Amino acid sequence: MLIFFALSFFSNILILFDSSFDYPKDAFYVVTIVLICLNSTRVSWIAFLTKKQKYYLLIISVILSTLFGINFATFIDNSIMRQIIYTFSPGLHTLMSLVMIYGTINFGIIFFTTLFHLPTAEAFDRKAEEVSSLMDLTNLITQVFDFKELAETITTITTRVCNSDSAWLVLKSDANIELSSVHNIGYVDADKITNNLLGSGENNYDSIEIIQIDSISSNTNEGGQLFKSIAIAPLKVHKKINGYLFAARHRENNFDQDEKKTVQAFADYAAVALENAKLIEESIEKERLEKELDVARDIQKKILPSTVPTSNRLEISALFVPAFEVGGDYYDFFELSDDLLGFVVADVSGKGISSAFIMAEVKGIFESLSKIITNPKELLIKANDTLKRSLDKRNFVTAIYGIINKKNGILNFARAGHTPILLCSGERIESIQPPGIGLGLDYNPGFASSLKEMEIQLKNNDIIICYSDGIPEAKNHKEEDFGYDRLDNIVLNNREKSLDLISNAVMKELSLFSKNHSQHDDITLVLFKWNQNN
Amino acid sequence: MAEFNVNLRDVGSVSVIDVKGYLDAHTAPELENIFNKLLVERQFKVVVNFDELKYISSAGLGVFMAYVETMRENKGDIKFSNMKENVYNIFDLLGFPILYEFYKEEKEAVHKFGDQG
Repeated sequence: MLIFFALSFFSNILILFDSSFDYPKDAFYVVTIVLICLNSTRVSWIAFLTKKQKYYLLIISVILSTLFGINFATFIDNSIMRQIIYTFSPGLHTLMSLVMIYGTINFGIIFFTTLFHLPTAEAFDRKAEEVSSLMDLTNLITQVFDFKELAETITTITTRVCNSDSAWLVLKSDANIELSSVHNIGYVDADKITNNLLGSGENNYDSIEIIQIDSISSNTNEGGQLFKSIAIAPLKVHKKINGYLFAARHRENNFDQDEKKTVQAFADYAAVALENAKLIEESIEKERLEKELDVARDIQKKILPSTVPTSNRLEISALFVPAFEVGGDYYDFFELSDDLLGFVVADVSGKGISSAFIMAEVKGIFESLSKIITNPKELLIKANDTLKRSLDKRNFVTAIYGIINKKNGILNFARAGHTPILLCSGERIESIQPPGIGLGLDYNPGFASSLKEMEIQLKNNDIIICYSDGIPEAKNHKEEDFGYDRLDNIVLNNREKSLDLISNAVMKELSLFSKNHSQHDDITLVLFKWNQNN
Repeated sequence: MAEFNVNLRDVGSVSVIDVKGYLDAHTAPELENIFNKLLVERQFKVVVNFDELKYISSAGLGVFMAYVETMRENKGDIKFSNMKENVYNIFDLLGFPILYEFYKEEKEAVHKFGDQG
């Protein structure tokens, strides 16, 4: 277009020299005007202006097009201005008149376009606002992990996006409804309205609903919040309603279909964002708990003996593998005198943290009783008395308490509901199960009468095996038990080896057996070997 | 997930609970619900039929321990019947046979309540 501006300028200069060059001047003039018209139609940018900007533009374009128009008129008339410039240079005159035409047409078109765009300006503004708000929210989903902050942003954006005066967010967990954040409304007011609308429980508001109430008036303490219309949108994730988003207006005009959709779309986004924030919060909490469990595991390791007692004639090996971070199995050794070694292997019902607590208590009981009572049966009776008081009805503890004389190899022990002792003597292995019910199952007379103490004279190279039910009840992927026979055989086949190696062999077979199946109970294995000749 | 089913039926004045599958910490609450219901109905004579029970964990055993006292205080009891050997071994190891009555047949157990009046 600018080129044609220049061309018509020069063609006019040519006329000065030769008036026969009249036609190119007119041709260029016309083409330039056509181009001006084309150029002026490129005004789509007007649509993207805000309503306020459009008003400004309207005023400016009116003024400018009028000014250009007047100027152009003065050029056409045979006024002094025209004569001065024409005499000065006909080219400049043409150029000036073209500029004036350009200005007039361009701003004229802008004026009309803006005028036509005005009625839709508000809708357009809102759409633009919605889009940018949704984008804001999408960004928030990935950036804001703080639940409270996110809830507040959601209510703030809601008021912006759907042109409402107030917005608030309530969260629903089970039957409880909790106000999470408010915008432009007091907590008390929002709570009241929420309770009015949801309190009856008649309506679940499974999809968005607009409520038109003549006077939803809450307490007028703070000047009164009088809403004419309220939109309630459920926050749904996986078809479950986690809460509601409220948007409320003072004004008469109802939420229209578009706004209704927007609120719903916004609620959907918000639901996902909140769910996300919740999950992240939970995973942080989980991490914290895991650290606590690590601490608990360390403490439990200290409760169990770190080394086994050593002596010439008695070889000992012990092993504990909890199913979870902490477990309910317990074993310990007590040096009662130079000759006597007391030991306990116990298993608290259940597993994990609850059993670990009881296990710590069991440790305390055996630790103190072993110093006072040197008879296994009496000791277990006393332990039952103590435990029964503090145990929950449905919990129990199985235990074996024994005393080995390191001088003569006599083992005295009593069994309270625990898995039987294995005695491997030569090529024979036998399970020894004297009667006795678990600790915490019954009060004294019953418990004491059930319990029988046993005495075994150990022979050279005899092996005593104490274990928790985590070994025989270990499962494979077919839900079959590891069983007692497998344990017997491993011990028999490895009986010549050191106790640590036997223990390893058992664990190896056990993990082979129950691969593809998580360990479901704590495992304890305590072995003794009597070496007569040392 | 291991399956567990529990069913309650009346045989005369005695309530019979059929347990089926795996009774462990996860499934124990189902059995507890049944016992709670019985307590509400003041029905204290209970026979638990173990015919189709495959496995019981300590949490499962705990359920019976939790309710047996109340039953006995109200002149009732929890009796066990039709137990498979592997399940019985678990009870036996803990000394349950000293504290509870075990029967081969459900009929016997129900009948025993009748004898007591």
